[in-house]
Amino acid sequence: MSNNRITNQIRRLRFDNGEMTQQQLADKVGVTRQTIIAIEAGKYAPSLPLAFRIARVFGVGVEEVFQYEDEDSQA
Amino acid sequence: MNRLQKSAWFNIVVVTVAFPICSACVFLLARTNAKGIDYLIIFLVFGSLTGLGGYLLLRKKGFEAHFDEREKMIYNRALVWAMIALLAFLCCVCIIPFFVLGGGNSVRVLYLPVICLSTLLVGQLVHSAAVLIQCSLEAEDEQ
Repeated sequence: MSNNRITNQIRRLRFDNGEMTQQQLADKVGVTRQTIIAIEAGKYAPSLPLAFRIARVFGVGVEEVFQYEDEDSQA
Repeated sequence: MNRLQKSAWFNIVVVTVAFPICSACVFLLARTNAKGIDYLIIFLVFGSLTGLGGYLLLRKKGFEAHFDEREKMIYNRALVWAMIALLAFLCCVCIIPFFVLGGGNSVRVLYLPVICLSTLLVGQLVHSAAVLIQCSLEAEDEQ
């Protein structure tokens, strides 16, 4: 079984967008700050609608925010 | 503390403090055959049934609707643990007396509501505890 991992650029994008706080991002996408923390740390993979909402807040595509990595593709 | 944790703490307080105290009071009143206890018990039974029915019908519009997707995931994971605990408790309550007392005995009808209520309370307690444990583990990771 391959080891899949979803990484993200939320922290960088937050700082690029006027040093947006986790709470501000959470309010904009309609989740709690804990959820943003978990997503940023890679502990929780968001649903597609939430991923799109996050990307829309930063005005970028989903793939610019989230990257899918698996061992097979890296080998 | 988020909404999920607040609801879990509320449930724990209700299950561990308020409910046993209320049950003990009603039990004592029934034991002393206090005046109007019959009406109180009838009111409690109907109140519990309507409360449970209302909760099951309206819960989607209630606090659960305000949980975000990660909180719902934690909630559902805790629900699985609660169901496991609930079934284990029910099995223990029904099977252990069967082997201890012997198969010839039967459970008195009087004890069935107590068994049912205890099972529900155990389920609720485990659910709330599982929610709080998951939240605290995540909080530890944040530090």
